[in-house]
Amino acid sequence: MKRGEFIRLTTGMAVAAPLLHACGEKKTGAAAIPGKIVGASAATGHLLRDHTFNPPAAFEAKEVVIVGAGVSGLSAARHLVQHGVKDIIVLDLEQQPGGNAASGGNAFSKYPWGAHYVPVPNNNLSEYLSFLEEAGVITGYDQAGLPVYNEFHLCHDPEERLYINGHWQEGLVPNFGLNAAELAEFKQFFTLIDHFKKLKGSDGLDAFNIPVDTSSHDESLRALDRITMKAWMDSQHLTSEYIRWYVDYCTRDDFGTPYDMVSAWAGIHYFASRKGKAANAAHNDVLTWEQGNGFLIEALRKQLDGKIATGALATSIKATGNGVKISYLDVASRQLKGLEAKHCIVAVPQFVAARLLGDTERGKVVTDHFHYVPWMVANLTVKDLHERGGQPTSWDNVIYGSASLGYVDATHQQVQQRKDRRNLTYYLPLTHTSPEAARKEAYRAEHAFWAEKVLADLQRVHPDIREQTEQIDIMLWGHAMVQPRPGMVHGEARKSLSESIGGAIHFAHTDLAGVSIFEEGFYQGLKAAQKILQT
Amino acid sequence: MKNTAGRNSAQWVLLVAVFIIATCGLIYELVAGTLASYLLGDSVTQFSIIIGVYLFSMGIGSYLSRFFNDHLLEWFIRIELLVGLVGGFSAILLFLVFPLAVSFQPVLYALVGVTGILVGIEIPLLLRILKDKVEFAELVSRVFTYDYIGALLASLIFPLIFVPYLGLIRTSLFFGLLNVGVGLYLCRYFAGEVRGVAAIRFGGIVILLAEVAAFIFSEQIMSFSETLAYNDHVVYSTSTPYQRIVITKNKHDLRLYLNNNLQFSSADEYRYHEALVHPAMTAAAEPRNVLILGGGDGLAAREILKYPSVRHIQLVDLDPVMTKLFTGQDILAEINRHSLKDPRVTVTNADAFIWLKENRKQFDCVIIDFPDPSGFSVGKLYTTAFYRLLKTAMAPQAVAVVQSTSPYVAPKSYWCVNETLKASGFQTIPYHNYVPSFGEWGYVMARKSGGYQLPDTFAIEKKYISHAVMEQMLQFPEDMLAHEPLEVNKLNNQALVNYFEKEWGKFLDQ
Repeated sequence: MKRGEFIRLTTGMAVAAPLLHACGEKKTGAAAIPGKIVGASAATGHLLRDHTFNPPAAFEAKEVVIVGAGVSGLSAARHLVQHGVKDIIVLDLEQQPGGNAASGGNAFSKYPWGAHYVPVPNNNLSEYLSFLEEAGVITGYDQAGLPVYNEFHLCHDPEERLYINGHWQEGLVPNFGLNAAELAEFKQFFTLIDHFKKLKGSDGLDAFNIPVDTSSHDESLRALDRITMKAWMDSQHLTSEYIRWYVDYCTRDDFGTPYDMVSAWAGIHYFASRKGKAANAAHNDVLTWEQGNGFLIEALRKQLDGKIATGALATSIKATGNGVKISYLDVASRQLKGLEAKHCIVAVPQFVAARLLGDTERGKVVTDHFHYVPWMVANLTVKDLHERGGQPTSWDNVIYGSASLGYVDATHQQVQQRKDRRNLTYYLPLTHTSPEAARKEAYRAEHAFWAEKVLADLQRVHPDIREQTEQIDIMLWGHAMVQPRPGMVHGEARKSLSESIGGAIHFAHTDLAGVSIFEEGFYQGLKAAQKILQT
Repeated sequence: MKNTAGRNSAQWVLLVAVFIIATCGLIYELVAGTLASYLLGDSVTQFSIIIGVYLFSMGIGSYLSRFFNDHLLEWFIRIELLVGLVGGFSAILLFLVFPLAVSFQPVLYALVGVTGILVGIEIPLLLRILKDKVEFAELVSRVFTYDYIGALLASLIFPLIFVPYLGLIRTSLFFGLLNVGVGLYLCRYFAGEVRGVAAIRFGGIVILLAEVAAFIFSEQIMSFSETLAYNDHVVYSTSTPYQRIVITKNKHDLRLYLNNNLQFSSADEYRYHEALVHPAMTAAAEPRNVLILGGGDGLAAREILKYPSVRHIQLVDLDPVMTKLFTGQDILAEINRHSLKDPRVTVTNADAFIWLKENRKQFDCVIIDFPDPSGFSVGKLYTTAFYRLLKTAMAPQAVAVVQSTSPYVAPKSYWCVNETLKASGFQTIPYHNYVPSFGEWGYVMARKSGGYQLPDTFAIEKKYISHAVMEQMLQFPEDMLAHEPLEVNKLNNQALVNYFEKEWGKFLDQ
């Protein structure tokens, strides 16, 4: 439901190019608050720019090579190891695995750099549930068979608030200052959503399910993937400013896509696919941690000691007839190295995959159908902030009408009485222009520009934010997530690109699901691993 | 002696004086109105009564002006100084008087009335002073023009500049100084026309100095007024990173306030601490290791140390200032009988939740004495998550007790704590007693198993508890029950904080 569950920008040349912009960055502005643009290692970019490398001298043998250590890649690796395939390696450009679930920290708390929560899972996702049990998120099951969630991991109260009409209201669904007609539209909207939640297609499958591929293929439902969310809302006469804002907020939050660009099928999926039941949580409760989904990354990694190579930038993947050859740049030794495997799981976005495979045909399909939205994420370290009236400070704090998605308080899950500082994670999907233009703009801008943007937005709700902020760090995600525009989920491109090549190269990434949520990444990895186990 | 030009400039000086008087007069009215709204609430009523009283008093002043027949200029200056004195000190006076609640409103309206009367006298006086110097039509026009412009200026600068930057006390002093300054200037300007100018000037200077001093020491005056708010003599007050600690003392008792909430009165705290400690300690049977969470005042520790079986008490309190005070400060340490210095007591300053998470020891008895669940932060210390941790710190036969707010004022809150303990896997024994300075107070005992047997005796030195008293404490009358199914308090719903806010909010509204 919120921002966050976007999965992965991983290795590859395409990533390196924009990194070069970040490195000449200087501090400007008089009263600048300390901070920097972090993340995506500029040094790696320099290496590629300044050096030419000899082809790998030798190709080390591995049973399976996984390119990309985001959720999909780590999930695949975990599944393989748990099923006895231990001769594997996961490559990632970054120093820390995790992809979009990357996280950081300071003396006061850990904090997310991307995805920061997962909703209470659907109960039919048994593999996912058993992973959560393994991670200590599920502590057991009650007599009715419902999972009991770790109380420290369920989002603490107060959970969400919205600054609207000069007041912080509880929850994100606008109600403060709305008239009866506007409130009625929300009622109607949620009645429709309830209907979709229970709806089954003519094939007997749930209309909207997770993973998306298990949803019904009923033609009447697929038709929703040919129009935008806005067009669907217009057809339902859901036209008040408030409901439009709310739905737009939600689709930007989860998909980085405004409601007038996102597919109606994907938009409805966001609301209607969550059906999880728990012994000690409501269906709309979420699980979250100081470091966001970085917590789940740590859990995925647990059985992968020594099997993850970071600072390893894959440069090519080639099928050899009886296996796969992978070349990668080892950043530390500045050498191009080779791996030869029986199988390779390509767990990176498709625009990167096409280049690694050197497949221009494939590249064209990606360019035509896959649009990746850039995001800016900021982490602010703040002292006590002045509060406007209404609901007290919550986990998720959203400002009505803002281009941003507001901020989450990374220290919210801490249980101590006194917090010397709080870390606030601020999210801004760059959807004001085309992804390409927004990306260029984003990499050109310096720290001071982003800091000012964040402060100017938050100043409305915390007038003293400039005096009280000690540090602002910025992360730019050039290709944060694929946009589920009309035709993405039920289109052909996604299917054709998901097919394995020569029984040896398999693909796993949320962009192949069309929606960038944790479960999709988890099952993308699982499916790819299962293909290997079946051979 | 004065030529036309001199007369003309004298006229202007007086008109400027009108302007300042009008500004100051209205400011005093606004100060009184704002203060009354702050302190009494209901700003509509406060402002409307104060404006009414002020205007009416100006009418009285105007009427009284007829009785001034000679030496008008002299009187004008005297009244000007008097306005400066009364108005200037009005905010301080009101702040100081407020804690003596009964007499506040009479003082408030008397002050507004006196200021109104004085200002009311001044304008007619001035008209009469100037009547020989200026043509009547023009005179009236000028005087009232300046009067009304002054009023506008006052109503604009008061909320926009003075309240935000100076605060009420300094604002009223500032305008008092202005009044007095004008009076002194007039003294000087009209030195030749005023009799007894030296005496008036002397009076003016005294008032001026007093107001300057008050202006400089306004912070101290504010904190003095805080001492009055506690109705007693404040013997100690400090702000720590965690809370504001205030200790007051009078003939009868010593009281501790944390964030303005009474924690104990030395006159009846034994009722609270005996009820908090002895049922659990007795039920635990020969407890050796005892844990106190909260209770930095050492009073629970004092009760526990009465048991010869006790080998060690671990006290965990958030605030080092608290425990230091109650360890080292003689008056306070006498109340807890130097319990915190006892070799059997270990004091740890830590967050109870974090401490419990890291703790690996087991205790025979646990006394939980946290502040009431009045916010989301402290509310976490009353959740299932916290109580499940508590369980890991308890030996199999151990007993814990939780102070659980007032079952009379906040029955849902009280029973919610009970439900939460039950949901966390405890058997509970709810009970309550009467502590005069608190009212009816509630506690919940909790143990992993074994139920509760009322003890025949409480074999320690005591003033309050006994078999018969305990028997009574276990009985809950109808008006202390919740009368509805309650939610369990969890980190992800904070049900208790919501109950607590509603119930205590309603109680304090009365």
